Amino acid sequence: MNCHGGVRANGDLSFLFEQTALLPAKSGKKAIIPFKPNLSELIHRIKHEDPELRMPLDADPLSLDEINLLEKWINQGAKWGTHWAYISPDENISPPKIEGDWGYNGIDPFIFKKMKSENLTPSKLASNSNLIRRASLDIIGLPPNDVMVQQFLSSSEKNSYEIIVDELLDSEHFGEKWASMWLDLARYADSRGYQKDILRPEIWRYRDWVIKAFNDDMPFDQFTIEQLAGDLIVDRSDDQLLATAFNRNTMTNDEGGTKNEEFRLAAVMDRLSTTMEIWQGNTMACVQCHSHPYDPIKHEEFYGMMAFFNNTMDNDNDNDYPKASLLSPNERLMKSILESRLSNFKSNGDSISEDYQIALNEFISIQPNSVPIILELPIDSSRKTVVFEKGNWLVHGEEVSPSIPSFLPEMAQNFPKNRLGLAQWLVSEENPLTARVVVNRIWEQIFGRGIVTTVEDFGTQSESPTHPELLDWLALRFINEHQWSIKSLIKEIMMSKTYQLSSNVSDEQLALDPYNRYLSRGSRYRLSAEQIRDQALAISGLLSNKVYGKSVMPPQPDGVWNVIRHVAKWEKSEGDDSHRRGIYTFWRRVSPYPSMISFDVPSREFCVSKRIRTNTPLQALITLNDPVFVEASEALAHLMINKGGESPEDQISFGFQKALMRLPGQSSLNHLSELYHQQLEQNSSRMNAMKEVASVILNLDELIMRT
Amino acid sequence: MAEKLIKELHSKHENHLSRRQFLGSSTLGLGAMALGNLSGCSISSEDELRSNFLNKTGLHHVPKAKNIIFLHMAGAPSQLELFDYKPLLQNLDGKECPPSLLEGKQFAFLEGVPQMLGPQFSFNQYGESRSWVSELLPNFKDIVDDVAFLKAVKTDEFNHAPAQLFMHTGSPRIGRPGFGSWVTYGLGSENTNLPGYVVLVSGQSIPSGGKSLWGSGFLPSLYQGVELRSKGDPVLYISNPENTSRTTRRQVINTINKLNEIEHNSSNSPETLSRIAQYELAFKMQMTVPEATNIKDEPDYIHEMYGTEPGEVSFANNCLLARRLAERGVKFIQLFHRGWDSHGSNDFENLHGGFLKRCEEVDKAMTALVKDLKQRGMLDDTLVVWGGEFGRTPMQENRGGISNPFKGRDHHGEAFTMWMTGGGVKNGITYGETDEIGYYPTKESMHIHDLQATILNQLGINHERLTYPFQGRDFRLTDVAGDVIKDILA
Repeated sequence: MNCHGGVRANGDLSFLFEQTALLPAKSGKKAIIPFKPNLSELIHRIKHEDPELRMPLDADPLSLDEINLLEKWINQGAKWGTHWAYISPDENISPPKIEGDWGYNGIDPFIFKKMKSENLTPSKLASNSNLIRRASLDIIGLPPNDVMVQQFLSSSEKNSYEIIVDELLDSEHFGEKWASMWLDLARYADSRGYQKDILRPEIWRYRDWVIKAFNDDMPFDQFTIEQLAGDLIVDRSDDQLLATAFNRNTMTNDEGGTKNEEFRLAAVMDRLSTTMEIWQGNTMACVQCHSHPYDPIKHEEFYGMMAFFNNTMDNDNDNDYPKASLLSPNERLMKSILESRLSNFKSNGDSISEDYQIALNEFISIQPNSVPIILELPIDSSRKTVVFEKGNWLVHGEEVSPSIPSFLPEMAQNFPKNRLGLAQWLVSEENPLTARVVVNRIWEQIFGRGIVTTVEDFGTQSESPTHPELLDWLALRFINEHQWSIKSLIKEIMMSKTYQLSSNVSDEQLALDPYNRYLSRGSRYRLSAEQIRDQALAISGLLSNKVYGKSVMPPQPDGVWNVIRHVAKWEKSEGDDSHRRGIYTFWRRVSPYPSMISFDVPSREFCVSKRIRTNTPLQALITLNDPVFVEASEALAHLMINKGGESPEDQISFGFQKALMRLPGQSSLNHLSELYHQQLEQNSSRMNAMKEVASVILNLDELIMRT
Repeated sequence: MAEKLIKELHSKHENHLSRRQFLGSSTLGLGAMALGNLSGCSISSEDELRSNFLNKTGLHHVPKAKNIIFLHMAGAPSQLELFDYKPLLQNLDGKECPPSLLEGKQFAFLEGVPQMLGPQFSFNQYGESRSWVSELLPNFKDIVDDVAFLKAVKTDEFNHAPAQLFMHTGSPRIGRPGFGSWVTYGLGSENTNLPGYVVLVSGQSIPSGGKSLWGSGFLPSLYQGVELRSKGDPVLYISNPENTSRTTRRQVINTINKLNEIEHNSSNSPETLSRIAQYELAFKMQMTVPEATNIKDEPDYIHEMYGTEPGEVSFANNCLLARRLAERGVKFIQLFHRGWDSHGSNDFENLHGGFLKRCEEVDKAMTALVKDLKQRGMLDDTLVVWGGEFGRTPMQENRGGISNPFKGRDHHGEAFTMWMTGGGVKNGITYGETDEIGYYPTKESMHIHDLQATILNQLGINHERLTYPFQGRDFRLTDVAGDVIKDILA
């Protein structure tokens, strides 16, 4: 495909589309003549003895098996197959029968069968202390609280694990954890990007919308439609309009001398690429300049899709127009309470009393925020969409109207040919991709690896699914059984036995399956940037419990924001606001929070499906020296000394258990006490000595990892 | 002799590759490159897929340069006041610009019919190469025979941020990896205790392209440029907290690592071993970074040569720092000096204001850097590159159709001057020529992607083979273009 694909068609030969591949090439010969392998130039050339003529060029010749396979294929008529992701899943798929009944629910037989075929044996179950930490980190992104741990570890109820899972899913911290994934996809940030990177001080309202949607378990189809086309819904609510800020997270260029139309188009194309990546696992961005090199998408089809997005009012102007004045749900509630109070005053004739004045002032002080949103242009001023030759916006080709690329399922007649119709089509029964892509994203968040590893790409260059039937089974259940409920899907995954296995790995497992593709053991991966911060604050008791609200600016070193001439200051948040969860940290694209960058957050300029997890010395410096972590060690040391019992050993065990839900082993405890006594001998105070012990605890691999 | 050298390099290369293969096939995943040692950085096993692509990288041929020092003059100095001498432009000074130069062109600020602006300073020829240098660079004139002038460099962008991004990431849009990220991703670094890609910033503030100029884009974050700050901690969070001595820190890290070993006994996870190595490395960096950045140790004659004042934020300090980092094997050293924009729109952004001051700030220091590298025998394998993100127009800038109150020029990407020295580049040559007013190239135009391809070539990398898969496509620094300009290579 590199040589005979959508970009390069060497010798005028491309295998991307059936029609073109069957045409004569530059040489005049036909590469493929169905049913006639002996006459097909392709077969002739792969068998050629002269290395200069043999294909593939400059590579090892194909094996005999490979050649036989191609001959057989041509002999049978050379039919172009459809890539698995574009075929609808089989409605009758069900968990396979396996020997010995391993597992708790329908997920397990799929996993067990595959594991066996790879000669793997499943690990034991994880310990309860490990399991509750894992479940809590996966569902709410925080370690479990003391009460929950105690309740779970001391319970003898059969369904105690399920109770915990339900309790966690009901927590309002759930949305804070899952919003992280979505905000990476939605390229959410508190600034506009490009050179000046002017702040978008009200866009956090969209972030809160996402958190709330996850907390309310808004069905994913509705979640889709409201974000892509909330403005086009009949009798739309304020919240549905707010949801469209999803597509206003594109960048706005405020640099002097730049052309608004160029950057308006950049934003529109980004909306298209982002939508296709999030919902269809498709790398549409390639097609902006030329036909897709590997997937069957034609250049003009990109612009047909773009036409859906090309008719909105925003145009890269300096005021980020259009915006909507919106009250938050809380503000709306307050306002209506005040309103009825005011009318009571009035009807009682108290309308000049002091109380009335106070209530009136309060009422007036609740002002809506102006949030950038999407609005469609009126029909009489609609834009035309044209093909841009080689992606250059100044070179116009033919005019196109909104249309779906031909390799994807058709859009039903009754859907409007606009963004609303597009959104409905994405979550319609005819579209097999959306549920697969979404289920895979959720799976990846939990296991650290997708069933399709390339979560961002389900095209022909993607990795094949490790468990294709499981993916389809889950996708169908997500739509039919779970009715697009993310929470039900998560629960189903977590109730599986597969999820509950220990992550300790045997030498045999490591040799046969080093990356744990087949899940014969629990997965183990580094926590996210947000989780690492939140966990340290939670363990040490510093974490603010506040949910929702304006972005905050916890302490960061001086000078970090001294980026450009545009005036914007890091105004350090005080009190509780300096200890809020990472999801609320102000996110400026040219300069995201420094400790989070080192832990691999993207800068949120473009849609990112998967964060890479690195392990670097700069990360060690952060968890050892960043004032946030120093403060957390001090606070944890306080708790250890004041609440951990009499002896230093008891205090150390207390702190260790608070962090990892289990007591330290004897030799670990010995090492920690040794450090404590060393510090005392070096004239440290008890507090300072314990602070160093707490710092060790907060830097343990087991703590930095989700195990 | 040469044969022996090549053999040695080849075996180095093979070691490099086998180390890669080891990493690729072991559960450590890809890694160990940015900080260069086996026990170094790693990426967790989930990303081992990507490591397959690393086998494509590494040295592609014998390199001429081991490290690079890139001096970026952010804001874009005028080539017409420094190197590209155009006496005819003097005769045209004050005359209306002919319409043929304006038709179909996009400018950042020029409007209507601007006037031509003659060179504002006098020029002379120096050295055996008889190179033209203006009076504003009295020190630099001494080293003209050591450098290769590139007089017709071409960029596609005419605004600062996109043009800077284009120069350093190969694309005018935010989100691609910086030059040094590509290089350290491909080659790693010699020094195990310092970052492989270091950024030093002086001048008004950081360049308008922002930190994206040295971000790792879609490459793993361990390849991002590490900014060494002149004030406060040189690397963020490198200093121990108050009340924690270095002895205590050693004890703390010992304890962390002992507990991690215990954990490894039960978990058997290779990632845990990697973390133990990271903590050792962090401990070493806490020593090596302050040592490397402490320019106070340098003798007086060096301070005089560069014009350095320890403790200040200055281009001179950063030049000296660059040499110290190159000595310690830092692969990619990126300097930015901001404040060159000279439109003539106010009393500092003009050719007799800020521009003049910038020349004073860089002339002595950049000359000292080249001389110093040469006297230490380091210039042979250190490539030094100097230039802005674009050049300036031969016309006086006239925003709103009215000539600006001060002498100044608009942005111009068709042809501008850069220079290079060391790292296998020819000495005392000029490549590229512009027309009589310095507007269009007349021969040997060199596109930014050519410049990037050539620099990568000197570092031992084939620019077409240094790729990374993202959003369904193999990306590279030079996008889909770029030719190595062999004429400037020794």
